[in-house]
Amino acid sequence: MSGSRSKSFVLWTLVTIALITLSAPTVVVLGASFTGGNIITFPPDGLSLRWYARISQASDLRNAFLRTLQVATVCTIVAIPVGTLAGIALAKYAVRFEKTIQIYLLLPFTIPLIGSGIGLMLIFGKAGILGQLWPVGIACCVINLPFMIWAVTASATGLDPDLELAAANCGAPPLQVFFSVTLPAVMPGVITGSLLMFILALNEFLVSLLLVDARIVTLPVLIYNSIRSIITPDLAAISVVFIACSAVAIFLLDRLVGLDIFLKSK
Amino acid sequence: MRAARTAYPLKWRIMDALEGVAAAIWPARFKRATPYLMLLPAVLLVGLLVLGLIQIADASLRTLDTTTFQFSDDYSIANFRRALTEPLFLVVAQRSLIAALIVTAVTLIFAFPYAYLMVRTRSPRLRKFLLIALFLPFFIGQVVRAYGWLIILGNQGMVNEALGLVGVAPMRLIYNYPAVLFGLVQYMLPFAVLMLAPALTAIPEELEAAAGSLGANWVRIFIHVVLPLARPGFIGAGVVVLTLSLTDFAVPAILGGGSQDFIANAIYDQFFRTSDQGLGATLALMLVALGSILVGLVFALFGAGTLAMGRSRA
Amino acid sequence: MKRFKPTLSHLSRRTFLQATAAFGGASALGLRGAYSQEPEKPAEIIVRAWGGSWVDSLKAGVSDSFTKMTGIAVRHDLTEDNEIQPKVWAAVAQNRVPPIHINWDTTTNATKSALRGVTEDLSDLPNLANVTDLAKPAGLEGFPIVNTYGYVYVLAYRPAAFPDGPPKSWKDLLEPKFKGRLAFYNDGIGFHFPAQVAGGGKLEDIPGNMQPAWDFITKMKAQQPLLGEDPDFTTWFQNGEIDAACTISTNAREARKNGVKIEWVVPEEGAKFDTDGLWIPKGLPENELYWAKQYINHALTKEAQQVWLDGLGLPGVVPGLTPPKDLVGDPSYPTTEADFKRLIRISSKVQVENESEWFSKFKAIMQG
Repeated sequence: MSGSRSKSFVLWTLVTIALITLSAPTVVVLGASFTGGNIITFPPDGLSLRWYARISQASDLRNAFLRTLQVATVCTIVAIPVGTLAGIALAKYAVRFEKTIQIYLLLPFTIPLIGSGIGLMLIFGKAGILGQLWPVGIACCVINLPFMIWAVTASATGLDPDLELAAANCGAPPLQVFFSVTLPAVMPGVITGSLLMFILALNEFLVSLLLVDARIVTLPVLIYNSIRSIITPDLAAISVVFIACSAVAIFLLDRLVGLDIFLKSK
Repeated sequence: MRAARTAYPLKWRIMDALEGVAAAIWPARFKRATPYLMLLPAVLLVGLLVLGLIQIADASLRTLDTTTFQFSDDYSIANFRRALTEPLFLVVAQRSLIAALIVTAVTLIFAFPYAYLMVRTRSPRLRKFLLIALFLPFFIGQVVRAYGWLIILGNQGMVNEALGLVGVAPMRLIYNYPAVLFGLVQYMLPFAVLMLAPALTAIPEELEAAAGSLGANWVRIFIHVVLPLARPGFIGAGVVVLTLSLTDFAVPAILGGGSQDFIANAIYDQFFRTSDQGLGATLALMLVALGSILVGLVFALFGAGTLAMGRSRA
Repeated sequence: MKRFKPTLSHLSRRTFLQATAAFGGASALGLRGAYSQEPEKPAEIIVRAWGGSWVDSLKAGVSDSFTKMTGIAVRHDLTEDNEIQPKVWAAVAQNRVPPIHINWDTTTNATKSALRGVTEDLSDLPNLANVTDLAKPAGLEGFPIVNTYGYVYVLAYRPAAFPDGPPKSWKDLLEPKFKGRLAFYNDGIGFHFPAQVAGGGKLEDIPGNMQPAWDFITKMKAQQPLLGEDPDFTTWFQNGEIDAACTISTNAREARKNGVKIEWVVPEEGAKFDTDGLWIPKGLPENELYWAKQYINHALTKEAQQVWLDGLGLPGVVPGLTPPKDLVGDPSYPTTEADFKRLIRISSKVQVENESEWFSKFKAIMQG
């Protein structure tokens, strides 16, 4: 029994360090957003909602946020079928030149974001589609696509080929096998992947910076640009509102599909 | 109508129709090509980046004339020569490579117990809490996050103030190489956990229990049962963290205090500060090559990750 | 009063501008609507600007009054000047409409764009008739850009860290106690030239022999300075991370307005003086180009300059401006011949041609 005690001690020590590291800056920023002073400090310099009042006045922030939601939606909608199919293909079948294809599909991660941004700006510019939001969504999808693919392949390890064979033997046509056996098996990966895609698209600024103009600026780009002059507590307040919105979204998602069942061990 | 639907639901009809369409476009004899068809959309999407890379490759062969700020019409390898000979680029390349390796190792060490606990815990509440704690840092953005670290780790930050209480003089805890590594680990941890978790869910808990009942202690169970079975997840997480830290721009820029540049920062400088897109393009290409070689190496050493399991039994 | 410059004749002119000039240039804006040939107004024009007090001042001084006068809204794009450049260049190269109407830019960066040929000629702006020499970009034909004010890269410091009085020389920063307590721009901009003097070199040797500058910067590297950009300096001063920095006076003044105890000087070796300007990228529809030009023309009026530059605390390019109260006699607000003697000015041509080399040299020293 002492074995399991030392096990949970080691596990919990590492996890606690991880948790502190992950959340410390968020907690500080959360607290700092209620400061009454002019600069971000912790503990806050008196309690006040003045920075929230200030951002609630700013319609450009709200519009930018709505645009960001559009971008993230486009990104996720494209990523789900594309990444799921590719992930299943890689996990299920013996594909020739598999390693080469993998390396190719990892290009979004091996190309530095600035390179991707410049490249996409030139390509989209040539195609005459800059100045719209959907190409930004496509861009966010491309640069994060490996997450979607890998999340699916990772969960496809739970995919039981015998089950698919059994379904096929019982006369199920291929699409039905796919939708009623294969897809449910990789669903945890699809959920994790699309959640990640959506959240990353909500926060992408470096590639978007090169693809948007002032009329269609997204929230992360707006924040990135305003940060380049002076960092004031309204940015902390924006972050907190952002966190609150996502918390609500995660809560709803949890209610709808139940987040934890996808990560529970079987 | 109503009766008919219960007898043969609409969903089935749609499925039948779809099956028909699918069979017409993609008859069973094409079956061997199916995986390639499934890969096609992803390959095309990433193809957008390849088109961009072609533009970049073209730019990399042109030199900048600083009297006109136009690029040369003819090709030369001058940029590549510069990239390989100027000591600055060697320094930043070395720095990013070493950082990427360290960050990958450290991140995996912390990500594994996190993912393990998240997957194995019996409490749904704890599982959700751990999951949400992973996602929250994304939302404050990297710059505001860095500001949070300044408040915690700065010269007048909380840690240094606490150290001051026990008589330790203020230390520089931020704006140096370790701070960049730390920031990268913090940034990469959620990705690694999310890549590892699905692989861990696939490992039956009974397997561990069985090993335990045979007298193996938990360390041995981890080493001989869990870690090998989770290997695909480790490779996936490792590759993700490795490539993302190698090409990262924001963390070294924000937490490095300006003197801890990575390759991506040097590329940024060329594209945005000195307007030398040619040299920037050259560095970008070399970084892509370096990253791809590293990934190839990982695949060669450890196998192509997550794929092995499902297929090994097929 | 000269209406327009003769140099204009060899450049292609838009017919509507000819008309404007013929009808009496300088007052064209005041008498708007009087001419049937006034081109159609766009709903808005986009001006790239720096954020914080920079954009606030521009809005108060130029944009708001422009909107009031013309009814055209002004949208400010806060993309960094460095980061908008490849976007504009790509747009011009691909024959697209550029993402901005007006770029508020450093003269050095703007000169690069002018050399590349992506700027519209502004020689026919009526208000150029009453600007000082500072407005004219050196070494360029005509007015591909118009400089709108000058600024100084001062030595900003926390008085508490200098109990014996303000620093007199850049060399004072080499004192051991400032190790890890200094900050410079991450490409070294603003510091190369004073470093040349502090290192025992001559300004005339720029760009031929800048070894003294590199030697001095190498000594400075041993002090382990932080390197950053405008917002970093404010952040670092606010959080007590640094005692001194080489930064634009406007940033130091902004930090002071935010309650940070900070002063600044021009040390005995001098400090770099440079200018910022406005320019218009090629590829705009004709009517938008017209109104973009009117915006810049408006930015050159005394009224607009006074409010804009009060906010920035910088000397403008039209005669008769009064300095803000807190900057009377301040070395960062040069007005007299003697003031300018203490500052270092290097032609933008030399800067543009050599800047990338200086940047990489500085980087090589600092990253090593």
